[in-house]
Amino acid sequence: MATTIEQPVKTKAEPELLGLLAEFDDPNALIEASKKVRDAGYRNWDTHTPFPLHGIDEAMGIKWTILPWIVACCGLMGGTVAISMQWYMNAYDYPFLISGKPAFSIPACIPIVFELSVLLAAFGAFFGMLGLNQLPKLYNPIFKSDAFRRATNDRFFISMVAKDAKFSEIDTGEFLKSLNPTNVEEFWSDVESPKLPRNLKLGLSIVGVLMIMGPALIAYVRSTKSNKPRIHIIQDMDFQPSLKAQNTTSVFSDGREIRPNIKGTIARGQFKDDNIPLYYGLKYLPEDQNVVPIAVQDEKKKDAKQAVEKQADAAKTPVAKPAATDAAAAEAKRLDSLPWITEFPMPVTEKMMARGKERYRIYCSACHGLGGDGDGLVTLRAMELQQGTWVKPASYHTENVRKLPIGRLYNTITNGVRKMPAYGSQIPPEDRWTIVLYLKALQKSRLIDAKTISEEEKRKLRDTK
Amino acid sequence: MASVTSEPIDTITEVPGKRTPLVTGAHDYGTITDAVCRLAESKASKTWYLALGFSACLMGMLFGLIGYLIITGVGVWGNRSPVFWGWPIVNFVFWVGIGHAGTLISAILFLFRQDWRTGINRAAEAMTIFAVVCAGVFPGIHIGRVWLAYWLFPIPNQMSMWPNFRSPLLWDVFAVSTYATVSLLFWYMGMIPDLATLRDRATGKIQQFAYGLFSLGWNGSSRHWHRYERAYLLLAALAAPLVLSVHTIVSFDFAVSQLPGWHTTIFPPYFVAGAVFSGFAMVLTLMIPARKICGIEDLLTKRHLENMTKVIIATGTMVGYAYAMEFFIAWYGGNRYETFAFINRAFGPYAWAYWIMVSCNVISPQLFWIKKIRTTPWMIFIVCIFVNIGMWFERFVITVTSLSRDFLPSSWGYFKPTIVDVLMLIGSFGLFMTLFLLFCKFLPMVAMAEVKSVMPRPGGHGDH
Repeated sequence: MATTIEQPVKTKAEPELLGLLAEFDDPNALIEASKKVRDAGYRNWDTHTPFPLHGIDEAMGIKWTILPWIVACCGLMGGTVAISMQWYMNAYDYPFLISGKPAFSIPACIPIVFELSVLLAAFGAFFGMLGLNQLPKLYNPIFKSDAFRRATNDRFFISMVAKDAKFSEIDTGEFLKSLNPTNVEEFWSDVESPKLPRNLKLGLSIVGVLMIMGPALIAYVRSTKSNKPRIHIIQDMDFQPSLKAQNTTSVFSDGREIRPNIKGTIARGQFKDDNIPLYYGLKYLPEDQNVVPIAVQDEKKKDAKQAVEKQADAAKTPVAKPAATDAAAAEAKRLDSLPWITEFPMPVTEKMMARGKERYRIYCSACHGLGGDGDGLVTLRAMELQQGTWVKPASYHTENVRKLPIGRLYNTITNGVRKMPAYGSQIPPEDRWTIVLYLKALQKSRLIDAKTISEEEKRKLRDTK
Repeated sequence: MASVTSEPIDTITEVPGKRTPLVTGAHDYGTITDAVCRLAESKASKTWYLALGFSACLMGMLFGLIGYLIITGVGVWGNRSPVFWGWPIVNFVFWVGIGHAGTLISAILFLFRQDWRTGINRAAEAMTIFAVVCAGVFPGIHIGRVWLAYWLFPIPNQMSMWPNFRSPLLWDVFAVSTYATVSLLFWYMGMIPDLATLRDRATGKIQQFAYGLFSLGWNGSSRHWHRYERAYLLLAALAAPLVLSVHTIVSFDFAVSQLPGWHTTIFPPYFVAGAVFSGFAMVLTLMIPARKICGIEDLLTKRHLENMTKVIIATGTMVGYAYAMEFFIAWYGGNRYETFAFINRAFGPYAWAYWIMVSCNVISPQLFWIKKIRTTPWMIFIVCIFVNIGMWFERFVITVTSLSRDFLPSSWGYFKPTIVDVLMLIGSFGLFMTLFLLFCKFLPMVAMAEVKSVMPRPGGHGDH
């Protein structure tokens, strides 16, 4: 329906009569005239008024628009989209728990459902109205009439379209004049097709290309791979101005970013250096041998520390692979040469022995066996599987092991040996010493003469489980 | 011709049995068009340029400060623990509230067939949109890292995360953006026929092109008008509940949290009443000078002003009732934290703000019971200024007093705004006024087509 004036056919050289316009200055006269036009049987015609004229719908016989149905459909669609979006996003695709609330509940959905229903319905009303009215339509030959400019001001028009079956230039003109308009005029098609302003196409294409560039660039980057770090448009906290080790700086006179310890401070975790026997199982050596106790003051302290670290590192040096026998032998030799302590660095008590027994059973017995014969359950199973990768733990009851100084045993627990892993990180030093104590007790238990034990002791041992 | 009357009429006194005309002075359809279009067609006055220059400077200050904020961080505001919402959110709620009057006038008064709305609806709707623009600025920059503002929307992102739809803050995003969009559509759609009028009268090339483009080829066809009126009615029916929903959801931002002083069920109706109250006050604050300067006193009569003051009395009294009811519930509910929150509000460190709010919002609109004040524009203007101040303080009192005395007494503090806070609020008025002045100059300030449709037809055929 909409506007009944058609676009001119641009190929024709001759202007074509498109229709007639009758002008009225009184809205009531227009309504009366409209009734007559309607009764005369014209179908392709329209009236133009500066404001919505009440009564014109009936006078012209305009049918009700379907717009409300479009709006209703859009509104329902908005509600459906809203509820399914919330379900998909919060309950299905990325469910997350907020204060124990259910991932999906209708009451919490209502605000968004309402808002989106209204939004889409409003779009339906606005764009539906424009669509049904076939707007925007920026070119319309009727606008060429100067009188018609007042159609949006204070004049009322009837437009008769030439395409109507009943239309004829003379008869329709006479008919319009009989309606007592203030004026009747014709409107014609253009001879030449209307030209767009110069450079408009160029301007629009430049704008179009510029608009596409951004999204195209993003799409390209997102669909290709790069081994370069991503572009940090906004740096947030990706790069911080803090100083890092191994870098140079102009802030400090020595040019190093890493700062040496301040005098008198002890780095975290380094406190153990003041008790070498306890932590490393090594003896204090005289100063001239470059292994000095931490007690040495001030500037010597640093050297001492380095020496201690060296000493500790020496003990820690990873054990060579079993295959490389030479390296293993060299390693064993190196360990043999270190000054291991032979006395416990703390008083030995009954309590310590009990603790050692407990710790031994927790950490060691699985492989070494409860008696230290190298027959723990894990070992037995491994031997049964015969995979060839298992190195059977040494029995404690061989001459070699019996001879080892306790510092060396302590070091083995701390850093491991051969296939045995290091337990230093799992067992605190004091507990390691209790294990060493229990181990020595196990060794001793095999050598002792039963006659030297009193009856009372024997009874006690029998009762102990 | 279609002249209404040749004598000035007193539209303020009601004559029983006779409908009071909505347009005063000797007007017909043509002179209405002339009166409204003259503003857009004539050269702008010096006053207009001065006002625009001043507002644009303030607006520039706002944008400068936003740039400073983004580069430096939100620490430039006075927001400190425990008051993290501070002025930006106060300003947001204040502006959103003001943005309620336009659509309320357009939609609800339209549905109630209050024809007097035709004189004010266009300007009020424009004001709504500009207020929502000002409102949108504040939460946008309050999020801190503004370049991540898209996280507010359910857009697929590289983290494969979705927003939390159970949060009132997200509802707020949807409510405010829907409201802004629908208000814009409503405003623009109402303007299409009037833009066509300007197009048909335009003489300059640029004006012809611009008005021609935005009027979409409107030719006043009755078949178009039929669908247009349907669409307008439907939009009004959609916008009416939308207006009520928006400030309801804004109030959820507060009411759904558990903070004493916020966690109250009265908030939604109380916020909506407050929004209408502040919105009407702002419409009057703008319209009273504008009708004088633009010479549209015949279209925007004293009767229009009087009607609006009546809405202000009604909503102001509702707001006063809500203040009282909050105290009653704090006592009647027997929750001592709630009781503390409210006693602290009225007699604590922010008592000064509370009593400014009460005197501006509850006492000052009661002056409108006096007819003399209701019909004297400058008096209305002064009362409305007080209402605007009071409504800003209402949001300040709600936001800041509750937050500054939260659950942990050790973190209690006294909120102090910084100079950036103050200048941003002033700057937002600059943005608002700049947009409004541009609107007054370039767009039809009064809905011509609607005013014409409620004018008596020549020949005495019906009222309208």
